[in-house]
Amino acid sequence: MIEFSNLNKWFGALHVLSDINLSVAKGEVVVVCGPSGSGKSTLIRCVNGLEPFQKGGLIVDGTELGGSEARLRDLRMEVGFVFQQFNLYPHKTALENVTLAPIHVRKLSKVDAEERGRALLAKVGLGDKMGNYPHQLSGGQQQRVAIARSLAMQPKIMLFDEPTSALDPEMINEVLDVMVSLAREGMTMMVVTHEMGFARKVADRVIFMDRGAIVEMASPETFFTAPKNDRTRDFLSKVLQH
Amino acid sequence: MFLMQLDRVMGYWPVLLKGIAMTVSLSVLSLLIGVVLGFAFGIIRAGRNRTLARLLGLYVDFFRGTPFLLQVFIVFFILPVTGIELSAFTSGVIAMSNVAACFIGEIVASGIKAVPTGQSEAAAASGMTRAQQMRHVVLPQAVRIVTPSLVGQFVLLIKDSSVVSAIGLLDLTRAGWVMVQSIPNGLLVFGIVGLSYFIICYPLIYISRRMERRDQSTIL
Ligand SMILES: Nc1ncnc2c1ncn2[C@@H]1O[C@H](COP(=O)(O)OP(=O)(O)O)[C@@H](O)[C@H]1O
Ligand SMILES: [Mg+2]
Repeated sequence: MIEFSNLNKWFGALHVLSDINLSVAKGEVVVVCGPSGSGKSTLIRCVNGLEPFQKGGLIVDGTELGGSEARLRDLRMEVGFVFQQFNLYPHKTALENVTLAPIHVRKLSKVDAEERGRALLAKVGLGDKMGNYPHQLSGGQQQRVAIARSLAMQPKIMLFDEPTSALDPEMINEVLDVMVSLAREGMTMMVVTHEMGFARKVADRVIFMDRGAIVEMASPETFFTAPKNDRTRDFLSKVLQH
Repeated sequence: MFLMQLDRVMGYWPVLLKGIAMTVSLSVLSLLIGVVLGFAFGIIRAGRNRTLARLLGLYVDFFRGTPFLLQVFIVFFILPVTGIELSAFTSGVIAMSNVAACFIGEIVASGIKAVPTGQSEAAAASGMTRAQQMRHVVLPQAVRIVTPSLVGQFVLLIKDSSVVSAIGLLDLTRAGWVMVQSIPNGLLVFGIVGLSYFIICYPLIYISRRMERRDQSTIL
């Protein structure tokens, strides 16, 4: 479903991703962790073309990245992205946030889009907040709207970039619960997170990144109990402390 | 004496009214064209094509950096030399729409740049084209940000329209000149002219102040 082959990316002189090789199968859940600045965001932003790269290849859902704008748009319809800062549209209600792309990109009728949007908002536990604007919602509620907004396009892949790290601790679980149920429904997911409980529960594989490279990749059991790399051990001891 | 003069001014009300009508129609027409053109300018100025943005920036700076009177003269006296005959009104509308577009364009561009990049990223990630991102996500937010400055700019432009009296249009300012020929009380005549400008502009000032206040309350 997602196939990185020797992908390299630079920001000017900074080598942010070096020789990334990774393939994610349909229905697989891959958790990406690593210290700040190690290239995790850049890695998943490549998957839906938010970041271009300079060397190597990346094929997502059969589409080679780096092609035309039109093909990139077709791909993006199949790939949902959830941002750390939610990035909800502040001038639109929760329901309008969720229906905007289905109406204008998928060309659904307003009625159909709203029906789908209501069902999704209810599914993420926000059935009573459809008419609220983002600033009238808590962080956890906003992030759940953002997840519903991505799901409304009926994507085959969902990407999450630290979806809970901008949230107050008491709101983290309401968002993780939604993601866990999504994973259990068989969604293909790449999740950048330091929520190791989530990784234990649903990840098929955990990846540790450092300085732009994938340093360790293992099943959650192996990753947490017998990490091979020193830097992974070091990182885990810091993250698991709290 | 004063009452007599006031009475004579009142006798000139058709001229005053004509002047008001001219100023209002010139301003409304020019601002409408200026807004449409100005949004196009703003989108280009904030756009990805940096060469085009810089070229337009040069054009805009020229008109922002030269006196409006001079621009009106260029349109009215110099364009005809190249074979384009224009009425005074058309010349006024062209000059004023153009300068309006230049100022409005810069304001719109600043609004577009003030919308966080995460907004267009979220829209792009859902498969929208650049035009759709602009139309549904970025512009509505940019407009909210810049509406108070836009309305303030409208007021400045309406006041600047007085310059067109120099090419013979009977606008509000020229109506004042006409009246003062036979009523030797400049203070009274131009007081009334000034009041008329104020009455035209005040609704805009009021709206913009209301909106600024509303804006602050939604941010809090
Ligand atoms: N747009 C950019 N321009 C220049 N450098 C960037 C940009 N985005 C990220 N970087 C740099 O690339 C590196 C990796 O960033 P990022 O992928 O955001 O890391 P992470 O998500 O793991 O914290 C960091 O050193 C960061 O400063
Ligand atoms: Mg990051």
